[in-house]
Amino acid sequence: MRARVLLSCLGVSALITAGSTVGTDPVFRVYTPKGLDFVLQNSPTMKKYLIETMPGGVALLDYNRDGLLDIFLVNGGRVPSSNGKLDFFSRHEPSYWNRLYRQNPDGSFTDVTEKAGLSKAGDTNYGMGVAVGDYDNDGYPDLYVTNYGRNILYHNNGDGTFTDVTEKAGVAAGGWSVSAGFFDYDNDGKLDLFVVRYLDWSMQKNKTCGTQMPTYCPPGEFPPVSNLLFHNRGDGTFEDVSVKSGIAAKKGHGLGVAFADFDGDGFADVFVANDAIEQYLFHNNGDGTFREVALDSGAALTVDGKKLSGMGVAFQDYDNDGKPDLVVTQLPHEPYGVFHNDGQGVFSEQGLEAGLGLLSGNVSGWGVGLEDFNNDGWKDLFIIQGHVFDNVEKYDSTIRYLEPPLLALNHDGRFERANAGTDEAVAGRGAAFGDLNNDGWMDVVATRLQGAPLVFMNRGGKAHWLGIVLEGTKSNRDGYGARVEVNGQVRFATAAGSYLSSSDPRLHFGLGAATTALIDIRWPSGIRQKVAADKVDQYLVIKEKSAP
Amino acid sequence: MITRLVTSFLFASLLAGQQAPESASREAIQHLQTGVELEKRGDLDNAIKEFSDATRISPNYEMGFLNLGDAYMKKGEYGKAIAPLNKAAELNPDSPTTQRLLGFALLSQGYAANAIPHLERVREYGALGIAQMESGKYSEAVASLQAALAKTPNDPDLLYYLARASEGLSSQSMDSLLSAFPGSARAHQAMAQHYFSTKDTAKAEQEYEQAIRMRSDLPGVRLELGEVYASVSDWPKAEQLFRQETQIQPGSAEAAFRLGDALMKQGKMKEAVSELQRSDELHPDMPETLYDLGKSALNLQPPEAERALLRVTELEKETLLASQAYQALSVLHRKQGKTELASKELQEFQRIQSLLQNNLAKSN
Repeated sequence: MRARVLLSCLGVSALITAGSTVGTDPVFRVYTPKGLDFVLQNSPTMKKYLIETMPGGVALLDYNRDGLLDIFLVNGGRVPSSNGKLDFFSRHEPSYWNRLYRQNPDGSFTDVTEKAGLSKAGDTNYGMGVAVGDYDNDGYPDLYVTNYGRNILYHNNGDGTFTDVTEKAGVAAGGWSVSAGFFDYDNDGKLDLFVVRYLDWSMQKNKTCGTQMPTYCPPGEFPPVSNLLFHNRGDGTFEDVSVKSGIAAKKGHGLGVAFADFDGDGFADVFVANDAIEQYLFHNNGDGTFREVALDSGAALTVDGKKLSGMGVAFQDYDNDGKPDLVVTQLPHEPYGVFHNDGQGVFSEQGLEAGLGLLSGNVSGWGVGLEDFNNDGWKDLFIIQGHVFDNVEKYDSTIRYLEPPLLALNHDGRFERANAGTDEAVAGRGAAFGDLNNDGWMDVVATRLQGAPLVFMNRGGKAHWLGIVLEGTKSNRDGYGARVEVNGQVRFATAAGSYLSSSDPRLHFGLGAATTALIDIRWPSGIRQKVAADKVDQYLVIKEKSAP
Repeated sequence: MITRLVTSFLFASLLAGQQAPESASREAIQHLQTGVELEKRGDLDNAIKEFSDATRISPNYEMGFLNLGDAYMKKGEYGKAIAPLNKAAELNPDSPTTQRLLGFALLSQGYAANAIPHLERVREYGALGIAQMESGKYSEAVASLQAALAKTPNDPDLLYYLARASEGLSSQSMDSLLSAFPGSARAHQAMAQHYFSTKDTAKAEQEYEQAIRMRSDLPGVRLELGEVYASVSDWPKAEQLFRQETQIQPGSAEAAFRLGDALMKQGKMKEAVSELQRSDELHPDMPETLYDLGKSALNLQPPEAERALLRVTELEKETLLASQAYQALSVLHRKQGKTELASKELQEFQRIQSLLQNNLAKSN
């Protein structure tokens, strides 16, 4: 069933189709938990600075290792007054700070930002996204915050506090960074860092577009920029290998990033969701270099040869054939992109076959995840939505600025709309996925401009599940890059993906009626490890064995 | 554009080799001949002076007025040409040259209705069509412009005015329909088309539904309403409407194509292939149908997809659809492991895309 919504805007009414949730049980209870008092400040102005519409990220991490996921939220910043000539932003006021919320045993949250040493962070910057990874293998997740301006690496001290180690680490970057992620591209057991940058922009270079009224300019109005790859030396410092690795050879308009070994050669590859140009797929050659192969492999364009306005990306196996596929969110007028991994290093765009033609086309997607929300053994699709332009209705009466989130359950590789628990329309941006209450049912935390984060708490059900916590020994401690197969389903271990966000690093598998599980892990080190679980509905810690 | 039409019809020298009539004095004739010589040398200002002297000396000297009007027109002063040409026409209404020039002069100054009788007399269909269109006589304009195009089929100005006149005729007919039969099904359909063209899809939907309620057997209405739903990606409703249209018009290739397209957008590839094949049988070699057929069959029936897409590349050369067909073929062949062929098709896709972008940049 689909419902018609009549919009009236400037005397022009329009028929808009929207997903209806009538007749189906909601999968989530959507609410703002006690103590989670964050508001994403993007500071929109009449100047329509492009950056205003792009934040902000969210991370789910257990920073204090108490077994409960905590939430880190990246804030935007205060934009100088319209006649100001400053080329920086103010984050001095507490309302513009990034925030870390510690989860309490009762499900409420406590703001521990100042206590953790994360306050006043990023003054002169405008906040964008966050990546999480244990780059020094000390067992505690570290934070990397991307900004317009200087990025910040926070080392987790293990005592509830963080230290800004950016200068020592050499990962400040610069320009306009967006999504970022930790991964181990050379399988040396130490997490490296990939930083996506959007475009060559500054307050002075900003342009305003629109013939009838001002609005944000498309990315093509600004020069492209290269992405950054930092190699972890293992001594707390990183080497910028962007040029040496070949990553810098391709400039683009990147927004999202995700990692998976798409061709099964044992090395993690990189997909960058680009806005309004070809998508980039950097194949890891295994020798420290990358080759961009999206066009040749079929992952650059739609089947019609059209360029996606790529925003967020999920790089997981949606049809249970064991190979990671790509879902790319984008702007309206075309369905979201689904690049099916056909094997042999080849993708084919199959958005219509996967049902995306019915779920998108007039909506704009950002944060995205492929997670098994009903534990039936198939990864479902969640996308937080909302258009870029806050005045888009004045240009196109068939499109809305505020959109409800999209939840689509996976039926044998085809997605069908389901009840997300809310039809509230928001300007959604970031989304992170994880099991907040450790009940084995995947939850979502999403950000929205000028609003509190939305927490989608899974209502659960009767199906069985298994959670896996990887503990690398020869491989990186987080086990990022591992290929984990459980009862025929495959997940690629990563916290990266979505848009500007970082998800629960634990691997979640819905098992349906199965009460046992056979686990087959291929660690980044090359070590193969098989584990039989006689008991399910639990989180299983699997430590990498020492020998193949 | 009117000016361009007018100047293309001006005469090099109206009086060359002509004898002066008895109505003119010898002195007037002398001024006329001097004026013609000056005009030949391109000295239009002094030629005008000589022609004016000729008409002042002999006030009924038709050739004097005609040459004076002609010189003004050559100078681009169409407004000043009208009075002497009117006088020439008054003195000799049967002169085709005078009628033609006067018609052009009046038309170029916006006196379209006044120009019509003069242009009609000399069957100057191009300018006549423009004058009729400017006067709101769209059906006559269409006929005149079609007659003109029969003589010069590829004239861009005439094609442009024919398109405008046709639009005007369409709009006029709609106005007549709406004023004479405001409550008719066709009136509701016409209103729906108007609302849809202004992107007011909600009102368009209401009007189409009203038209269907009044005449459920009306061909084409469901097709148009289906397009409204398609424009907002409401493919299930679009499919429903297109399917109904195929029942009303089982021989309509377009209805079958639209239904196939709506099915494809929903990922119902098997049904889409079947319907698009039916459309292709009803009207073979429609590139859009073949392209959709190729896309729908890509993962389901690769040989059929290949056949359809290759046919698109035969029918379309260096168009967007041709480039897209090459892209889809490259997807198909890459998947089949035909890497070299896929690479060539990808290159062809890129070549055509680049060509189209360059053409677009040039036109801008």
